[in-house]
Amino acid sequence: MRKRARLRSALPPALGCAAVLALTAGCATASASGAAQATAHAKNGPVLKVDAHSIPGLGTVLVTAQGYALYMFQPDDDRSVSCTGACAGTWPPLMMPSGGVVTAGPGVQQTLLGSDPDPTGGRVATYNGWPLYTYTADIQPDQATGQNLDLNGGEWYVLKPSGKPLVPAP
Amino acid sequence: MTDLVSRRAALLAGGGVVGGAAAASVGWALTGGSASAVTTAASAPATAVIPPDDDLMREHGVLKRVLLCYREMITRSGDGGLLNAAHVQDAALIIHDYIEGFHEGLEEGFVFPRLRQAGGSLASTVDTLIVQHARGRVITQFLLSHATAGQLASPGMRGRIAAAMQSFDRMYEPHEAREDTVVFPAFRTLVPPAELAALGTHFADLEQQQFHTDEFTAMVNRVAGIEQELGIYDLTQFTPVVTQYEPSE
Repeated sequence: MRKRARLRSALPPALGCAAVLALTAGCATASASGAAQATAHAKNGPVLKVDAHSIPGLGTVLVTAQGYALYMFQPDDDRSVSCTGACAGTWPPLMMPSGGVVTAGPGVQQTLLGSDPDPTGGRVATYNGWPLYTYTADIQPDQATGQNLDLNGGEWYVLKPSGKPLVPAP
Repeated sequence: MTDLVSRRAALLAGGGVVGGAAAASVGWALTGGSASAVTTAASAPATAVIPPDDDLMREHGVLKRVLLCYREMITRSGDGGLLNAAHVQDAALIIHDYIEGFHEGLEEGFVFPRLRQAGGSLASTVDTLIVQHARGRVITQFLLSHATAGQLASPGMRGRIAAAMQSFDRMYEPHEAREDTVVFPAFRTLVPPAELAALGTHFADLEQQQFHTDEFTAMVNRVAGIEQELGIYDLTQFTPVVTQYEPSE
């Protein structure tokens, strides 16, 4: 009986992030909450950093450079950005800076970092193949209020530095 | 349910809506389309688009009707009646799939960031609204997980389910009222009319892409069905008899 809406993107590229940003000054990655991507400009262009940090009740998980928890979305099936549109309003993807790179902070494995194309434009940083997202409701660092939430068509989990989702025991 | 008005019908009616041709031209211009593309879009047959804040308020109407369903179920439970698992599940699924899985995403992605950027007291209001969204999702997940026929046989679980619905109602009644009367009007003052029109078009596109149907109308029909099951659909039953209040001669 339970309906699980699949949120595959059908957004035309023309109405992608840049256009939305122009419309609202609040595109997913620049969204509220301070959970926006962490970028710094290095010699070779902007750098997006992924860190690991201990969050109370969960242990050490991946976070942005500002300490906001990073999540994986089960329907992404390990390498496919499927949270777009309204979903990305709630779960802003961790967008790669244009022409930049993603680097690992202490405790994070550089070899597991990568990126996948966002159907609406740009690229989303990945870890162990999972596209990374923040949660709008984490309005402060060191929170993970979206952990183990069933929303927007699937389950959301934080990621351990090993690259495995933190799935609670049944 | 003959009184239901479809979104498409509202779009075509054009009353109180923004011209779609203007919206189309803005959309093209924003996306870097060529001048000819803009001209083509602007000269297309005029359709009408619901402004984004109006659209969100219509969706609040669906939320309000689910809150009324929850309230009816809470009242029955308090009177010693049984909670019907199917009613709770159906109502919670509307919240989960449409309000939390779509409507709130639009608010969080397109409305709240603009208000935060503007600063002032609305920024803290937005923080509260976002936290309330998150708490509501936890409650909805609890309802969907535990409002089963088996678990509702337990008086303890019935009490917990009723309390969860009560908390949800208590939070969302002021929440949506504040959005309708403060947040959305403020948003409208911040966004130029052309951008507002383009965003209305974008909202309609996102709904179509996510649901592939007129989901607003579908949700109105679904909640109306629950109201009928609960016996609260007929509006006339809520019209009070006022003879005792009439002026005495």
